[in-house]
Amino acid sequence: MCANCGFPAAPGHWTDAGADSAHERLRNRLRRAKVLQSILPGYGLTAHDGGQVPGIQIGSLSGNQTIVRDLDEAWEVAEKLAGKPVDPLDPRFIGEDEDA
Amino acid sequence: MPEDNRRRLTIVGGFLGSGKTTWLRHQLHHGAFGRAIVIVNEAAETSVDDVLLQQAARVEVVAGGCACCEALPELLSLLRRLADERTRTGDEDGAPAQLVLETSGLADPGPIVDAIRSDPMLAYHVVVSEIVVTVDGLYGLRHLREEPLGRRQVELADRIVIAKAEAAEPEALRRLAATLAAINPGAVVSGAAKGEPVALPDHSGIEPEPLAAPAIAGPPIRALKIELGDGTDWPAFSVWLSALLHARGDDILRVKGVVETPAGRLLLQSVRKTMQSPEILPPRADSPAGEDNSLVFIGRGFTASQLERSLRHFAGQERKNP
Repeated sequence: MCANCGFPAAPGHWTDAGADSAHERLRNRLRRAKVLQSILPGYGLTAHDGGQVPGIQIGSLSGNQTIVRDLDEAWEVAEKLAGKPVDPLDPRFIGEDEDA
Repeated sequence: MPEDNRRRLTIVGGFLGSGKTTWLRHQLHHGAFGRAIVIVNEAAETSVDDVLLQQAARVEVVAGGCACCEALPELLSLLRRLADERTRTGDEDGAPAQLVLETSGLADPGPIVDAIRSDPMLAYHVVVSEIVVTVDGLYGLRHLREEPLGRRQVELADRIVIAKAEAAEPEALRRLAATLAAINPGAVVSGAAKGEPVALPDHSGIEPEPLAAPAIAGPPIRALKIELGDGTDWPAFSVWLSALLHARGDDILRVKGVVETPAGRLLLQSVRKTMQSPEILPPRADSPAGEDNSLVFIGRGFTASQLERSLRHFAGQERKNP
């Protein structure tokens, strides 16, 4: 459908917009994987991105493994595997509320 | 750094009969959108206003249904056709033409933005730059009270124009402006009479209209701003924000802000769960300092402090447990 233009076939995900060199992109992927690895175990999930092949591996402790293309897919899969969404406003992330 | 060459799309929405066309016609007449291509969406099959035809560079019609639902495929194929055409012939005078979509009065702008953003071709050609919503100076409060759709349109606006302001009593106008500001504190509210801008009476201290269910369900919508600080950790930030939109997208109506990254200054804009492809802004030379690296959240059910603590947790977790 795309009639022009030297762009890749699928639009880049917005979460990849913060890097514009190959080096920076790889650095971002590895850092992103680390952040996911710090968040997901609390939901009984694992994350892996070695930077070699495209995608992020999301797994459950029972051995289910899914490769996702971007973070939107990652959160969908995580919700499916964990049975609830990973909510950054969960008390486990923000602590007890002093301003509720 | 690649230049963002996508066409800007302004969506002009607003409830049935609220004054969209009059306002838009005036803007076009005064060249507010430059050399624009205007897309008019009619829920019914009606002809396009002659004046509108004369003022705009070009008018396309998507008729016979709402551009947010039954006529959405037609709108998308029109936008693709315009993109194809532009690819073949190039821009008329070297710059991308502005697109203006006037929705039908029954359209919810949210699904339109979602559809454009998630279309694999259009995402490269079109970026929604602003949502302008007109509100009827006379019947606006009634629309807000009785029509959940009227409220949804107002909630998603970047700019709210109270049209027919000349027809309303100053007291009623004050009340309407205060109510709109309470529903969408992030939007700029202005007045218009037959398209001409008019000053609104001061509404500070005026009680907003109490809107009953189903109009107001749950806590009120608020606009909050959080500071990201310098040297944003983009990977952690994007993990955090994407998770937040996934989990809370129904309560987060808009996110807007400029974030400095190694790839440039990124303008982030979301409507509900959908984040648009960020625009890369030129390096800051003339814009006032202090606006970068902060994000505005418009929604309900959270506080700025909760958002900041949550982001800190996402960004700092790794450092605590290396």
